[in-house]
Amino acid sequence: MNQTVSEFVKELQAIVVEENATDDPAICASYSRDQHWHFVPAKNPAYVVRPANKEEVRQVLMLANKEKIPVIPYSTGINVRGLTIPVHEGSILLDLSRMDRIVEINPEMKTATVEPGVTFGMLLEKTRKYKLRPAFPDAPLTVSVLVNYYLRGIYQTAAADGHDHVLSYEMVLPNGEVIKTGSRSLSEMPYFRYGVGPDFAGVFCAHPGTCGVVTELTAKLYRLYDNRKVYFIGFDDANTPINFLHNLMHDELAASIRLVDNQSWLKGICGTFDYEYEKLPKFVACILVEGLDEIFEAKDKLVSEYIKESGGGVLDFPEEFKRTFEEESLGGAEKSCMVFGLRGNYHCIGLYGPLKLAGKYYELHERTALEVGIPEAYIHYYVNPIYSFHGQLCYFELDIFYDGSDLEFGEKLRNYNRKQFQRLLDLGIYGWFRPYAGIIEPTVERIGYLAEVWKRFLKVLDPNKIMNRGKLF
Amino acid sequence: MEREEILSAIYHCVKCKLCSISSFHPNEEWLPLCPSGRFYGYQAFYAPGKLEIFREILEGEISEPTEGLLKAVYACTLCGACYEKCKQITSVEISLPELFEELREELVKKGWFLDTHKNIAEKIKETRNAYGENYKYEAKSFYGADVLYFIGCTARYRVPEIADAMLKIFDKLAIKYQVMEDEWCCGSVLLRTGQVGDVKELREHNIEEIKNSGAKTVVFTCPGCLMTFEKNYPDMGVELVHSSQFLTRLGDMKVKKQGMEVVYHDPCHLGRDLGIYEEPRAVLKEVADVKEMKREREQAWCCGSGGGVKSAFDDFALWSAGERIKEAKEAGADALVSACPFCKRNLREAAEKEGTEVYDVVELVNRSLEG
Ligand SMILES: Cc1cc2nc3c(=O)[nH]c(=O)nc-3n(C[C@H](O)[C@H](O)[C@H](O)COP(=O)(O)OP(=O)(O)OC[C@H]3O[C@@H](n4cnc5c(N)ncnc54)[C@H](O)[C@@H]3O)c2cc1C
Ligand code: SF4
Ligand code: SF4
Repeated sequence: MNQTVSEFVKELQAIVVEENATDDPAICASYSRDQHWHFVPAKNPAYVVRPANKEEVRQVLMLANKEKIPVIPYSTGINVRGLTIPVHEGSILLDLSRMDRIVEINPEMKTATVEPGVTFGMLLEKTRKYKLRPAFPDAPLTVSVLVNYYLRGIYQTAAADGHDHVLSYEMVLPNGEVIKTGSRSLSEMPYFRYGVGPDFAGVFCAHPGTCGVVTELTAKLYRLYDNRKVYFIGFDDANTPINFLHNLMHDELAASIRLVDNQSWLKGICGTFDYEYEKLPKFVACILVEGLDEIFEAKDKLVSEYIKESGGGVLDFPEEFKRTFEEESLGGAEKSCMVFGLRGNYHCIGLYGPLKLAGKYYELHERTALEVGIPEAYIHYYVNPIYSFHGQLCYFELDIFYDGSDLEFGEKLRNYNRKQFQRLLDLGIYGWFRPYAGIIEPTVERIGYLAEVWKRFLKVLDPNKIMNRGKLF
Repeated sequence: MEREEILSAIYHCVKCKLCSISSFHPNEEWLPLCPSGRFYGYQAFYAPGKLEIFREILEGEISEPTEGLLKAVYACTLCGACYEKCKQITSVEISLPELFEELREELVKKGWFLDTHKNIAEKIKETRNAYGENYKYEAKSFYGADVLYFIGCTARYRVPEIADAMLKIFDKLAIKYQVMEDEWCCGSVLLRTGQVGDVKELREHNIEEIKNSGAKTVVFTCPGCLMTFEKNYPDMGVELVHSSQFLTRLGDMKVKKQGMEVVYHDPCHLGRDLGIYEEPRAVLKEVADVKEMKREREQAWCCGSGGGVKSAFDDFALWSAGERIKEAKEAGADALVSACPFCKRNLREAAEKEGTEVYDVVELVNRSLEG
């Protein structure tokens, strides 16, 4: 950089007006750390810029590119993997939360087009009058819809929604060019993903801000049904429910399916710490059935039959627990974040794999955790099958809830990660929840020439390496 | 507070930002809850961002009182709305406003604070009231009465209609009361702005006078004063009550209901800090038809004036009050009623353009009382 700091801020301010760009150390400090700080240490960006629209984003990127200054896109900053914490000195944190327009809700097309600052809560508030909803992650409903979909999040709350909700988007590249994916590149109709040959939307997706800045995204919306029924079924181990879950998924019967242990997420799912969870069987399957009148009845009948053969017992939970599970699954997660209240912080390895390995993943989780000195009571588990169930696709979460202020515990977790990444790769997984620094290194070693192609691809998009570098390679 | 204790509380923040909105379910409405974050936008103005600033202050990484620092720390109304959400999620015991007050204390120790707040401290030193007024609010007093009315600086010097109404209520109900011969500021504004060192003298004076008065019950129309007496004064062996609690206890006051539809605004100190939600509503129901706004009780939107904000960031204070006025209008109310002189002052100012009436509960009770 060949300018003084204050001159550079002035240039940024000329783009976004004075109050929306700053190098004030205190304002920068407020973006310096997230809950992954045992792995990604706190660091301040040098500047924070809050653009109002695509054109301002474009100008900031071009300026940064010219000066070779790192840029960290930030929409709501709730990614829990340190993905918006700077690695390099002198970084610009591009806070996109002012760009919170819901550009379109199209009930006819069952789609929504949003800017980065639109959260799940904001979107549902507007879609529900059409009896439509977005696909929800189990992340707080304060997270950005655009980022969650662009990062290809996990949509535990309604397995029936499947895994891919992105139809098309526009992205500003570091050189100021704007690219549009799918039908968006050909017409004013952004509703089809595969319009122009390769699945370009897929190619850029799941990059932690390392390609460019997505400024608008069109996503699928899903039906909200009035008919709903909730079941909680207890099991003594993680293996017994596998067959039952398989049946539900194979026959596409339940909207939401989660298998959790009785001491962690279950409390969030039920919305209270105040219950005798310890008296329940060790694992609980939480099932939500929904659908149109007769279809619902038929599904519910089949689910009831599968429950009878499941080897588990239906738990007689208060109505309030059922209501909370329903609200959170089909209306966005809020109370389930209570899991943080177990000990104040949470660590997880999130991965994709086949349902048949559910028991094995859990055994490995327990083994590695105990080996590095993590107490048994801190070891938790979360399994979530996902439609379409080809390959028995499930999301698994190997959770550890702990007190973040215990610095020694942080060391145990780092040990756990080192061992567990390798062991899981050895055992066999489909992939990680998302790529991030720490997990990506042992992974790329195993993917052959694809790693080289991936790196070269990023070099083409971002030759000056300004886009959130240090978060991937 | 010990450094380790503070850091532990900071580390419990998982940056979920659920503290920035009121509970979404079951109504599924996106309603902001943090006035400073909503107004200023940068993360520094939301609770999770302020906690990082505190961490860097403790770790010595922030080494100068920049404009951004002073704004982020002092343009927060300490309304506590964030903590109401956060405690459900993290179970962290130290409340966020307590932490933010502690942060202000740290800054004051370094001499990093606002001239406006310094001036208030100076005015208090000179005149013993937060507004630097040299005249006395005149009220009669019945020597030796069991009830003592602690008026507070704001009701004495900025919204005297509240003090007038309270005194008239006592008279109409034939309740003998005293006011202090020489009432001094309770010290709330100093405590909230981190200037804790200056409070001792005020506290000692007020305790001395109250003890000498022989009163058994001290009544407050100002929740800020009441909270300060509850939390920052030692137990004086007297009962401390808010006007709404005092009036509820009286039972049938023989009031005539006014044909008015009102909404009740929960003052932060009264509601979130002292847990008094029902009594003001109960009193108000005797005199008017009460509707609820969308954000109420634990999750009420702050009027915008607390924590030293009104004096230092009036544009922000008035914006926040304006948001509340809009909400009152949406609820279809004829008037907005609060139970705090500080709220009334700010809300009234913001409501002037809108033509919305703003009252304190005691004003409506006074109007409705015979006599
Ligand atoms: C309690 C809890 C539970 C969670 N459960 C889930 C879950 O079930 N499923 C799930 O998917 N996630 C979950 N998460 C993780 C996370 O919150 C979300 O995935 C979230 O969508 C990502 O964070 P964000 O939206 O705040 O994005 P940010 O934190 O702002 O950004 C995340 C990454 O995307 C990049 N980025 C940001 N904006 C843009 C942009 N406009 N263009 C390009 N890149 C950009 C950033 O640089 C960063 O690398 C959970 C989080 C919490 C706290
Ligand atoms: S709710 Fe609590 S944990 Fe979440 S961001 Fe706010 S202060 Fe932090
Ligand atoms: S105390 Fe009020 S203004 Fe301050 S951060 Fe919390 S919610 Fe925002």
